[in-house]
Amino acid sequence: MSVRRHGSPRTVQVIRRLLRAYALRRVLKAVITVWIVVTATFFLVRLMPGSPVEVYIHTLISQYGFTYDEAANQAAALFAFDPNQPLLVQYLDYLRSLARGDLGQSLVSPGTPVSSILLSYLPWTLFSAGLGLFVSFVSGLFLGMLMAYRRGGLIDHVLTALGSFFQAVPNYLVAIVLIVFLGVQLGWLPVTKMRGAVSPGVQPGLTVAFVADVLYHAALPVLTYVLTTVGSWMLLMKSSTLSTLEEDYVTVARARGLSDGRIMRAYVGRNAVLPLFAQVAIAAGFVVGGSVVIERIFVYEGIGFVLLDAINRRDYPLMQGIFFVITLSVIAANLLADLLYSRLDPRIRRHPAEGDR
Amino acid sequence: MIDVQRPSCQPLLSVRDLVVQYQGASGAVQAVRGVSFDLASDESLALIGESGCGKTTLGLALLGLLPKAARIMGGQILYRTRDGRVVDVVRLSDAELRRFRWQECAMVFQGALNAFNPVLKIWDQVVDTARAHGFRDRTRIREQCERLLRLVQLDPTRVLDSYPHELSGGMRQRVMIALSLLLEPRLVIYDEPTTALDILTQRAIIEVLRSLRQELGFAMVFISHDLPLAAELADRVATMYAGRIVELADVRNLFYRPRHPYTRGLLLAVPPVSGPLTTVVSIPGSPPSLASLPAGCSFAPRCEFATDRCRREEPTLSTVAPGHWSACHHWSAVSLDRWMERLGGASHA
Repeated sequence: MSVRRHGSPRTVQVIRRLLRAYALRRVLKAVITVWIVVTATFFLVRLMPGSPVEVYIHTLISQYGFTYDEAANQAAALFAFDPNQPLLVQYLDYLRSLARGDLGQSLVSPGTPVSSILLSYLPWTLFSAGLGLFVSFVSGLFLGMLMAYRRGGLIDHVLTALGSFFQAVPNYLVAIVLIVFLGVQLGWLPVTKMRGAVSPGVQPGLTVAFVADVLYHAALPVLTYVLTTVGSWMLLMKSSTLSTLEEDYVTVARARGLSDGRIMRAYVGRNAVLPLFAQVAIAAGFVVGGSVVIERIFVYEGIGFVLLDAINRRDYPLMQGIFFVITLSVIAANLLADLLYSRLDPRIRRHPAEGDR
Repeated sequence: MIDVQRPSCQPLLSVRDLVVQYQGASGAVQAVRGVSFDLASDESLALIGESGCGKTTLGLALLGLLPKAARIMGGQILYRTRDGRVVDVVRLSDAELRRFRWQECAMVFQGALNAFNPVLKIWDQVVDTARAHGFRDRTRIREQCERLLRLVQLDPTRVLDSYPHELSGGMRQRVMIALSLLLEPRLVIYDEPTTALDILTQRAIIEVLRSLRQELGFAMVFISHDLPLAAELADRVATMYAGRIVELADVRNLFYRPRHPYTRGLLLAVPPVSGPLTTVVSIPGSPPSLASLPAGCSFAPRCEFATDRCRREEPTLSTVAPGHWSACHHWSAVSLDRWMERLGGASHA
């Protein structure tokens, strides 16, 4: 325990202890990061010469004969801020509307709030890429442990070769190969039917038909994610398991007469998986941003699909909204991983000053 | 076969001609080359020798814990169970071996700083151990564990609720010693239990071991390279060299009348408590590689008593006095007298 200074008021002590709490510090850090990113985005867009807002206003004036004020009002409604106000007021307004979940309106389809577009497309990306990551991570863990326990055997050699191969192939190539060979050349998969996130006419709800349809449409993107990432999880888990198997506490556990299953789960597995959590956090953060190409290739209507569309059509508010969501997902994934990590590894639960021994 | 048994009692453990071989990339290496000894149920035997002489391999073999690359090529490890049956540990099935470990024979390892699973609390690891052997009554486990922790001078409530990293090295080793006695084994192997600890903690651990043995009465194999430490805890001492026991005797006989040049060398290499440091003599040379042992006696190249016969003919362990065995052709010439004279004619009787 650290020595506390005598005579410091009680409230100060409470605050100090709160600041020391691992979880609270992490959450605080995440909130501050979000704020910094939001602020930076806001000022970058406004301070750029020929900002998208100005460009939009001038387009309105020159093409539709708007007066400047009319154009400015229109822009203010779309971008959720008033360009005639002082920058600081704009900034505060922006923060306030952001806090309410108001991200402005789409330029291309006026009257549609960006937030509603995000809400209708984001779930599909989170679902397909999240499922892909989950399946890939979990099967990587099991295969990696299997390889480590059977090292030098046939399974180990075959899986190592396959894992290294698929790890090296970029995901868009796998996606194209799946479409060209399985879909077009061999005709095994009805790739055109599998487009989109759901078949038209299927009613959303917790019905077997809906779930099956959703899985049917997500199958190819998920398969691509899994094929291209399972190899690296597998190899990481193998090397982590191998080094854990060398640890003294595994030998001691055997000496204590523990069953092989218990040792594998609580002694080897749990410790071997720890170093992988930092990586899974990073991977989870890029789920949203990394989906662009795959969703385009499979015409899967997720947020990556919309982002590419927004970029092509210069739909700035929508782009800004999507970037905000991407940032948020990276930060949220890291926060989640940190909190989960502290649950799994008791050694980092304490304050560094106390934990460093 | 030589009789290394103490005549009066039935041994708890008798090891006979044990050979352990490591399968390396560059061929096979024998780390234990025909070791035999007996251990009575209340006895403490110290195995001493330099690093790499096969002490730890022998300890691991007793528990059937050898790494994958090692194999027992011959010999027996006969253990008398509680119900009087004699089992050969070498031939136990995996399930029998699992029950044998910790319940009959526990082991405390060297460098125990890392002996506990870092992600489980000590109490969970205690429960794990008890459950693996079919003990499910948590209240009884708790009572037994708290009693043992108090015996090793730890605060049970605090320790059981801690993660391993929250305890100091000395505390962890004491927890390990307490845990080794959880299932009341009749034999505990201590493999250099104090090596990674500072000198004061070492002392405390030795005291704890001594009092535990008085209190609970279990047989003990104490593996060490530290002679004074071995002298404090052992009834009998076996000196190991290049995978063999080269001398085996009561602790007093071995320390005052060593009959093997290697034991004598080890004793001369210990700094005296009083007297000038110049009396410390180290053994010339270094232990032979087990992959290429010299012909004849493996200690001959470093031995000042060695003759042509030693380089030709490997000596076997034979009786030199009642309860005293040595594997040396010239055992009668070996004595500590010169050392004693240098110390100022102190009596060694």
